[in-house]
Amino acid sequence: MITEIKNLEEFKTLTESGKVLVEFYSKTCGPCKMLAFVLKDVDKTLDNPTIVVVDFDEYTDLKESYDVKGFPTMLMLKDGKEIERMQGLKQKRAIIEMIEKA
Amino acid sequence: MNYNLPKVQYLRIDHLVTQQNRKEKEFLSQFEQGDYTLESPLVVDNPYLINPLAAMVLFETKEEVSVTVTVKGKLDSTADISFSFGPSRKHIVPVLGLYATFENTVQIELSDGRNTTLMIQGGDLPVLTQQVEKIFTSPEYMADNLMFVSAAGKSLPGGYDHKGDCRWTLAENFVFDMKRAKNGNLLCGSYRYSRVPYHAVGICEITMAGKIVKEYRLPGNYHHDQWEMEDGNLLVLTQDFHRDTVEDQLALIDRETGDVLRMWDIRGLFPMNVGKSGSWSDHDWFHCNAVWYDKVTNSLSLSGRHQDIIINIDYETGALRWMLGDPEGWPQELVDKYFFTPVGTGDFDWQYEQHACLITPEGDVMCFDNGHWRAKKKENYWLNKNNFSRGVRYKIDTEKMTIEQVWQFGKERGQHFFSPYISNVEYYEDGHYMVHSGGIGYVDGSASELLLPAFLDPNDPSHVQKSITVELKDDVVMYEMHLPTQFYRAEKLSLYHGGDNLFLGDGKVLGTLDVTPEFDTVPEAEEVLEAPSEWNQIKIVEEEDRFTFHGRFSKGTLLMLCLENEKETHNYYISTTARPALAMCVGSFMAADDRQLSVNISKLGFSGVFKVKYILDEKKFNTGITITFP
Repeated sequence: MITEIKNLEEFKTLTESGKVLVEFYSKTCGPCKMLAFVLKDVDKTLDNPTIVVVDFDEYTDLKESYDVKGFPTMLMLKDGKEIERMQGLKQKRAIIEMIEKA
Repeated sequence: MNYNLPKVQYLRIDHLVTQQNRKEKEFLSQFEQGDYTLESPLVVDNPYLINPLAAMVLFETKEEVSVTVTVKGKLDSTADISFSFGPSRKHIVPVLGLYATFENTVQIELSDGRNTTLMIQGGDLPVLTQQVEKIFTSPEYMADNLMFVSAAGKSLPGGYDHKGDCRWTLAENFVFDMKRAKNGNLLCGSYRYSRVPYHAVGICEITMAGKIVKEYRLPGNYHHDQWEMEDGNLLVLTQDFHRDTVEDQLALIDRETGDVLRMWDIRGLFPMNVGKSGSWSDHDWFHCNAVWYDKVTNSLSLSGRHQDIIINIDYETGALRWMLGDPEGWPQELVDKYFFTPVGTGDFDWQYEQHACLITPEGDVMCFDNGHWRAKKKENYWLNKNNFSRGVRYKIDTEKMTIEQVWQFGKERGQHFFSPYISNVEYYEDGHYMVHSGGIGYVDGSASELLLPAFLDPNDPSHVQKSITVELKDDVVMYEMHLPTQFYRAEKLSLYHGGDNLFLGDGKVLGTLDVTPEFDTVPEAEEVLEAPSEWNQIKIVEEEDRFTFHGRFSKGTLLMLCLENEKETHNYYISTTARPALAMCVGSFMAADDRQLSVNISKLGFSGVFKVKYILDEKKFNTGITITFP
């Protein structure tokens, strides 16, 4: 399921356990728009993955705490800890591979 | 509804090889049909369409005689360019080194004592061919050589004599390295842009008159550098666009067929995310910008700008032999096994983000040390205004794994010789070198800190771009040339040479392009009947082996090119995002308006007739153009 967070509390709740893919995006970024479609595709392909979407410009504290410098950036979290990161637009198969590997 | 003109422009263009073959057949046919003599020869201006400073003079003599051609210097005979051709009755004489926009005096002298003088008008220089700002040298030092430069910014390749006059240029941008092949022709990057930001479809062998003898296409394209092996085969820097890193492969190409004979992969030799330079990225982690083959050790040296490292590998096995660079940030086991330890009491600096490594006949290593960032950790990075670039020569001992700096030039010039990117060195003999600092950029009189010089605005009076080429003999400056923009490399060559100065017969396009990688996911979009907006300036240019989709698109829009017919679709994502480039070695292909995009789609991989459509945010437009894939 893809969830766009509405507050930091929600982010914390969604990411504190299990495997979670977090995407930092910007509304002004073309690759982010494309990635939104790719993530929908990933969501349909996998068995109920947890995908959390964060507005890069709105959640500056999160951006800084995860040292996210550009968008789109995807973080693979496991029990709240980052285990892998992808920068830029990626194809569906690369994202699925990262999730399955986590 | 007619989607076609004027909203979408369509052009079909022939490869330059096809155009040149046609032109050559025309003038040879004219020659065969006419009665051209020494007194009344056939003169063909710009015979291969892209060198306005070349001509061809064709005539017959009753007896076999040798011909000497001389383009007279504008002011005095020190600038004469002359060459003698072997005996023949049919004379097809390339005339090289004409002055632009000038009625040149060209003398033709025969070995039987007869002669004639022709007045040949040199063509106009292309707008982007640059003029020398300042030159210091002597005719004795330069002899019959010109200083050739390959473009990096908004310019074109040029060749300049000892007075600074342009005597050679090409109207198309043959990019990156320019080396003379053993047969005298030039080896350089193709003029055909392929992929962002500067990858060309392959390399070209061209005559000095501008004829493409062969274009060697590579699936992974060409970037930065090439090397002619003793058997004529070509080493070419390339990559695989089907994986997520670039500029980390080397190909060996068959000189005759263009087939790829062998590949070397730098990935896998050592970790990609260590020893990072300030310009490192996960995509362009190594940024291989030079290849040099050393016969003595049967090894290849490769320069990796984004790890501040020159590596040496065994030619046969591909195994790592040594690594030359600042060891900070590299795993200790690699440092212990492959890195050098500085010795000696003289001055010593490591090189950073270097270019154009070479091995001297003595086994020393030379390179252009750009010095960009000049440290491995961010907190130690140098400001450009305090920095320097230089040519440097290191003596290495591969038994003791020691290194000693034995020569450098440039440090003493500080920021005024500082190029954070591009540039090269040449070794002529011990103590005789060229150092070309081709990427200098100032803002308000100081080395540009925020922008790579490639991104400086030539229309902003506070921005200055410059290229300085220096030659030294025993530390005495023998030559210095200043040009007003960026030039990737410099190479001192004569126009005429000991090989065949004339190549007749069809030029060839060899090798293959890649199957253009597609995007798996297609965004939801509504197909609309309205025609594409004129503001988008959509243009489709079709060639024999590919087509190019050009257009103007606002930053941040979602854009996908779609090829469709009844049976199948092929989709190509196009980024419209402004991305700060950490390496813009050749900015020649950049549009002045960075919303202008060009995407090349190869005709390989499938066949049929396809409609060209594109998705722009939530709408899908039909261009009205169809392309046939053979």
